[in-house]
Amino acid sequence: MAQRNNKYDRQLRIWGDHGQAALEHASVCLLNCGPTGSEALKNLVLGGIGSFTIVDPSRVEAADLGNNFLVSWENLGQSKARSVCALLQELNESVGAKFVEESPEALLDSNPSFFASFTLVIATQMPEKALIKLDETCRQQRVMLLVARSYGLAGLVRICIQEHDVIESKPDNPVDDLRLHKPWPELKRFVDQFDIDAKDQLEHQHIPFAIILVKVAEEWKAAHGGRLPSGSKERAEFKAAVRARKQSDDEDNYKEALASAYKVWAPPTISSELHSVLDDSAVEIHSTSTDFWILVAALKMFMANDADGDLPLDGAIPDMHSYTDYYIRLQKVYQDRAEANVSAVEANVKSILRKIARDSLSISRSTIKQFCKNARNLRVLRYRTLADEFSPLAAFKIQRLLAVEESRELEQDVLRLKAICINLLNDIGVNGASISEDLISEFCRFGAAEIHCVASVIGGIASQEAIKILTRQFTPLSGTFIYNAIESTSSVLQL
Amino acid sequence: MASAEELAAIKKAKILMVGAGGIGCELLKTLVLTGFRDIHLIDMDTIEVSNLNRQFLFRKHHVGQSKAKVAREAVLKFRPDVNIVAYHANVKSTEFNVEFFQNFHVVLNGLDNLDARRHVNRLCLAAGVPLVESGTTGYLGQVTVHIKGKTECYECQPKPAPKTYPICTITSTPSKPVHCVVWAKELAFTRLFGDKNQANDLDSQTKEASSASEQQVLPLELQEGESVASFAFRVFDYVFGHNIEAALKNEDAWKSRRKPVPLYLNKILPNIAEEFKGSCENGARPENSCSAMSVLGLKNPQEVWSIEDNARVFLKSIEILYATKSKAIGTLVFDKDDQLAVEFVSAAANIRSYSFGIPMLSLFDLKGIAGNIVHAIATTNAIIAGLIVLEAIKILTSDFNHSRMTYCLEHPSKKLLLMPVEPFEPNSSCYVCSQTPLSLEVNTSKSKLRDVVEKIVKAKLSVHSPVIMQGSNILYETGEDLEKDMVLLYTSNLDKFLVDLPTPITNGTVLSVEDFQQEFSCNLHIKHRDEFDEEKEPDGMILTGKWLTSQTPEQQLNVPGGPTEGNNVVEAVAGETKTINDELQEVDGDFAEILEVNTVADKKRKIQDEEQAQKRMRVSLDER
Repeated sequence: MAQRNNKYDRQLRIWGDHGQAALEHASVCLLNCGPTGSEALKNLVLGGIGSFTIVDPSRVEAADLGNNFLVSWENLGQSKARSVCALLQELNESVGAKFVEESPEALLDSNPSFFASFTLVIATQMPEKALIKLDETCRQQRVMLLVARSYGLAGLVRICIQEHDVIESKPDNPVDDLRLHKPWPELKRFVDQFDIDAKDQLEHQHIPFAIILVKVAEEWKAAHGGRLPSGSKERAEFKAAVRARKQSDDEDNYKEALASAYKVWAPPTISSELHSVLDDSAVEIHSTSTDFWILVAALKMFMANDADGDLPLDGAIPDMHSYTDYYIRLQKVYQDRAEANVSAVEANVKSILRKIARDSLSISRSTIKQFCKNARNLRVLRYRTLADEFSPLAAFKIQRLLAVEESRELEQDVLRLKAICINLLNDIGVNGASISEDLISEFCRFGAAEIHCVASVIGGIASQEAIKILTRQFTPLSGTFIYNAIESTSSVLQL
Repeated sequence: MASAEELAAIKKAKILMVGAGGIGCELLKTLVLTGFRDIHLIDMDTIEVSNLNRQFLFRKHHVGQSKAKVAREAVLKFRPDVNIVAYHANVKSTEFNVEFFQNFHVVLNGLDNLDARRHVNRLCLAAGVPLVESGTTGYLGQVTVHIKGKTECYECQPKPAPKTYPICTITSTPSKPVHCVVWAKELAFTRLFGDKNQANDLDSQTKEASSASEQQVLPLELQEGESVASFAFRVFDYVFGHNIEAALKNEDAWKSRRKPVPLYLNKILPNIAEEFKGSCENGARPENSCSAMSVLGLKNPQEVWSIEDNARVFLKSIEILYATKSKAIGTLVFDKDDQLAVEFVSAAANIRSYSFGIPMLSLFDLKGIAGNIVHAIATTNAIIAGLIVLEAIKILTSDFNHSRMTYCLEHPSKKLLLMPVEPFEPNSSCYVCSQTPLSLEVNTSKSKLRDVVEKIVKAKLSVHSPVIMQGSNILYETGEDLEKDMVLLYTSNLDKFLVDLPTPITNGTVLSVEDFQQEFSCNLHIKHRDEFDEEKEPDGMILTGKWLTSQTPEQQLNVPGGPTEGNNVVEAVAGETKTINDELQEVDGDFAEILEVNTVADKKRKIQDEEQAQKRMRVSLDER
């Protein structure tokens, strides 16, 4: 335990014990263990996934030694899957390791249920036709699929999951939800215990800014028929009213109050992403609804019936200049309110569960609590199928051509690829003539090679996205990620 | 897939890698697999267990060995035909001088601290060798390119100053967990196990008492014949009981503050003597002797322990530290990878928090605060290493137009996960690469030369072996080849007030600061000022310049010249660790000290800067 905690210390600080537990429960299948696949899996093995299985039919050749660190010259002529498997096992002995010496395509044809036992399949360097079938198979079996491909100085990463729900999306800029504009009775009562015009100078400069703002806002409302300041003139007046309470210029709590005054008239709003989650058709609950959607339905009920359209309070307050015990008491007022909100949502969850004849305790309070804490940042991602994305026929032709290695003269390839590109683009209504010839020659020159530094980047991104989807933390890529090492550019396309 | 020209450049390139940690392991592997054949590698660190989740060239049995050497051997095992030279050494040591740097075509940094990064930057500038610089924290990362005369140098943009705290907050009036952590680490740990002379605040409050009865037992020293356990009991009562009571006597201080509660062992753990009896007789050497918490049966480091358990961990960690590291007592420096040190500091911080009515935190959270621990994972390092190599290839083929600084973001923003930015031009007011003078406001009759050397020249300018001159008169210099009488003169100068020096420093004086190893020089314009705010400007000095943005030089509770890591502290509020100061800089002991994208807020600042500075750069978005 201590060893495990030490080894994973730096990453536990990102995704926590529960994130690590999710990784340790994950069973990952890697299709093809060239440099891109090996790099991706290496990063996941270091992170401590539960187990992995490598599917690759090939043998280690001299060329592999030049771009794949997970095979060595001693492995020449041996099974590549076995060699990579053995070396990965060395990196982290607590990870279960298996390999299958078969081609992924053949396995997909002969034994599609093979994939059902995995949490995640990572398909690398696979042609689109097989990928489309794999995507279908994985969706049927509710297995997550991640596609990665390095191609010369370019590469792509694509997630294929029917629906991926994220509770802990961990946004870059979490907002403070202080309800300064709408204090609930307990907060009001707490605020009333303070005299923001206290004569004692030290007392005066140690009242937390939230209390100052609630007081001034309540006074404002009383003087303005219950309205909050609106428009720049009133806002300036409001700030002046705060400023007027200062007793000297270096009161840090007043500086904070002025800097945060906007929170009174601009409380956090409900994002369009959250709106679309709340309005999603899946929120109509039936007996096969997932826990996530039951929680969303309960949240919606809470907002409509219990909270005047507001989200549950998350209970967190920012640092404030204050006496420690004032701060702790204020914090408790917020935390108590958050707990009460959780209880209200919990009651809704129970009533929904009863309605669909499920055990009313089957969603734990700790899950509900975590959901409420993150309610503002819920995300639902749905990935269209690869079949949809690749419906124009010409796409197959491009892939086939690209996958052919060195069998034709380069110039011929350039011409053929150009023709195919133009056809494809015209088919889907784009002016095909606009494609750059340089780009096409560049792609032919790549000849399907996997360059290690590109594989390192693409494998790194693939494993990073894998961790996001396995831990259900952070928002993963929403479309096809394309990396161009020539120009150092990257983009995410939602095709 | 590289072109013939690229392949030729790769084959004959001589590469210097500084750092064999998280980025370094990935980088060495990627370089070798890209075809590089001649790589020199410097790293002073040894391998820790907490490295193994990402530094994949190392195994458990390598713990304690040199990172540079083990990395070299690991790669040679796979690719015996490449030339790798490993130096288990500090990049700041004199063997790595300008001539040494001139041997290389490009220098690649995978470092973990600002000081070393600045040092390498200056050597690269002096040697005229391009530098590819990198850093990661969690999912964030960046690669930047620095070519003398063409792009900005690493120091063209001021780096955020580490968050520091006023001394009195730490010694007397803590209000947050972090204050107690700094106290536990810098005062309690150092006083008991490290260099006593650097942390005597714990004794100071009782000077009168001890002089009154001279032959008394020294409160923080182990007596002859005394068991470590009973010594630990005494330390507890002294530090958390007696010292707090002494502080309470100063009633003025507590008029408007919540008074701390003195804590004594007989109240918290009345039966501690019996409880600990057994373990003392065994010499405190059970199998798990590297951890007080496991000896005590405490399992979960992410849980907040009771005050009783914290007291137990405090006592037990002292006992085991004495039992297992008795020789090193007096020289220990806090190390976040030393379980016992972390246990002692966490327990001490929590007990102090308890006394002051501050919420206690878990060992896990406190360790993060005490060690300024930065998140670190394999995935980001792999991505960054790939990008470093791609930039290095562009430099080697003189394809400078394609050079990019690349930021790896946590969330795809504007559809970008990797954000490429064209390198900036050199900052014409940079004090490093453009030699723009800086100003130093100081009270010339109250500050000593030593203050200027330690607090400004070494701590702020990262000059390690300074030569300080006024005109052609040398005021201060160090070095092995100096004459004895010169050494004496320079040493005596250190303790003189600026106006009392042989050539007095007064308002308007221009000092020149040089470092021969770094081939660095800059001018300091002295401005005399009478008064400084003790709380806000406790250095009694303020460094300014066109180059610097508004800095808030708060007091650093730190040993002069000590490791920079110690200065940086993550704020923690009521159970939740979070970074509060936007400009906060964190340091990962392994590889990542974060730069521009260090914290989220910082990253945003950077992006905002970019928006404001459209003229200077173009973000190369994909045209589609």
